[in-house]
Amino acid sequence: MASTSHRLNRVIWILAGVAAILIGWQLLSLFLPPVYVASPAASLRALGRLAWGSTLWIQVLITLKRLVVGLAVGAAGGWALGIASGLYARVRAFLEPIRWVGMTIPVVIVAGLAALWFGLGDFTVMVVVGLIVLPTMFVNTVEGIRAIDRDLVEMGRVFRFSRRLLLREVYLPGIASPSIAGLTLATGIGIRAVVLAEVLGAASGIGHAFSRASSWLETDVMFAWIIALLALMALIEFGVLRPVRRRALRWRKAEQ
Amino acid sequence: MIVFEHVSKSFDSLKVLNDVSFRLASGDILGVVGPSGVGKTTLLRLITGIIAPDEGSVQVAQGAVGYVFQEPRLLPWRTALDNVAVALRAQGMEKDGARVKAAEWLGRVGLAGFEHYHPAELSGGMAQRVAVARALAIEPAVLLMDEPFVNVDIDLKSSLMVMLQGLLAGGKTTAVYVTHDLTEALRLADRVIELQADRTVRELDLSDRAAVARDWFARASAQE
Ligand SMILES: Nc1ncnc2c1ncn2[C@@H]1O[C@H](COP(=O)(O)OP(=O)(O)OP(=O)(O)O)[C@@H](O)[C@H]1O
Ligand SMILES: [Mg+2]
Repeated sequence: MASTSHRLNRVIWILAGVAAILIGWQLLSLFLPPVYVASPAASLRALGRLAWGSTLWIQVLITLKRLVVGLAVGAAGGWALGIASGLYARVRAFLEPIRWVGMTIPVVIVAGLAALWFGLGDFTVMVVVGLIVLPTMFVNTVEGIRAIDRDLVEMGRVFRFSRRLLLREVYLPGIASPSIAGLTLATGIGIRAVVLAEVLGAASGIGHAFSRASSWLETDVMFAWIIALLALMALIEFGVLRPVRRRALRWRKAEQ
Repeated sequence: MIVFEHVSKSFDSLKVLNDVSFRLASGDILGVVGPSGVGKTTLLRLITGIIAPDEGSVQVAQGAVGYVFQEPRLLPWRTALDNVAVALRAQGMEKDGARVKAAEWLGRVGLAGFEHYHPAELSGGMAQRVAVARALAIEPAVLLMDEPFVNVDIDLKSSLMVMLQGLLAGGKTTAVYVTHDLTEALRLADRVIELQADRTVRELDLSDRAAVARDWFARASAQE
């Protein structure tokens, strides 16, 4: 079938992309001293040591918890505010300056202030992640509401849909796609924010472990943590985002 | 009951309806004919209250409004069955009853077996019939139809028209049927108004329907 060969083609190109990264990495490690770039093999050995000593699992779980809680709260907040702003021009206007501040202040500053206010630890990191992902989710949701098919809203009005029914049957399914796109984007931003916040505002987690390895010039360990981080992202992408996307947009299959 | 009194409506500088008046009693069926862009859909939207007249007044009796839009306008994320059931739910029907009734109505428009199809999996004419089922299922006090059978093939259209005639005959439903095909209007309607390109409105004298049709086709062929 055409679609299977199409998919196979895609997979081949993805694998080629992965291979390109690995080859590039290997080449760099051949030409640069190990203190700059650890080779793939050395990085994997360091990762093995971390996993054996159980440091890896503990730190990954700490980071995962902070990421998931911060992301969930920030994304849910941005989503709810986005819906309200999409529906009511007044709310949108009121939130506009706050959104602008939120999107303009760099993560480093948010993390520095949060560490100052709340001390080092979980709460600080979660606050940073939440604050950083919120505007992204917000903007995507507002755009989603504004892009809703006005004709469907008119249909709902004519058939006397209650506010609740209109929200459930027209607005929410209508913004499913941009909401999930926003969540994907927010997750990418969140994972960067969590690491930075852990460098500045925590004494544990992947970010902290990374910065410690960096001050000891343990390049292989630094690379091991990068691998751990990528694995974490893959876990979220394939374990959460994709299933959610598939479920929420199941009706789309019919359109293809 | 639907009453238009000296209704005018413009979009920006474009005057679409100019001084339109008519009065429909409960149970009346009005046909609206006229060329493309003349304001037929605008007239229906005024009846729903979605848009308001610039001048004059529009009064519509209380009760549910069923609307077959010019395009199906179904919820793409809902199945054919749920699209009809949701409209019933909006009128206050409970879930199971709504689904049973929705299935009945899909059967009546010839869509038994397609209950679980999504709109994208239906042909244009099938989707349009779901929209017809949705509008009729709620047993509206006011039924608005904007070229409802435009994508439906001729045999099916005939049987749906017969069904519609049966439903409306002697009932309390006030209906407005928009079409560019006068013969359709003559089949269904008690009264027919023609919106004309010069923004005037004329009610056709239906005491001699054959003469009206003859005159219509004579004018149509004169334009060609
Ligand atoms: N929301 C709107 N904004 C601006 N102009 C509009 C709007 N709705 C309709 N019009 C204009 O009003 C005129 C009448 O439109 P309408 O849709 O009522 O025509 P119609 O008789 O239903 O035509 P058709 O047979 O092609 O459906 C058109 O010139 C159209 O461009
Ligand atoms: Mg129209």
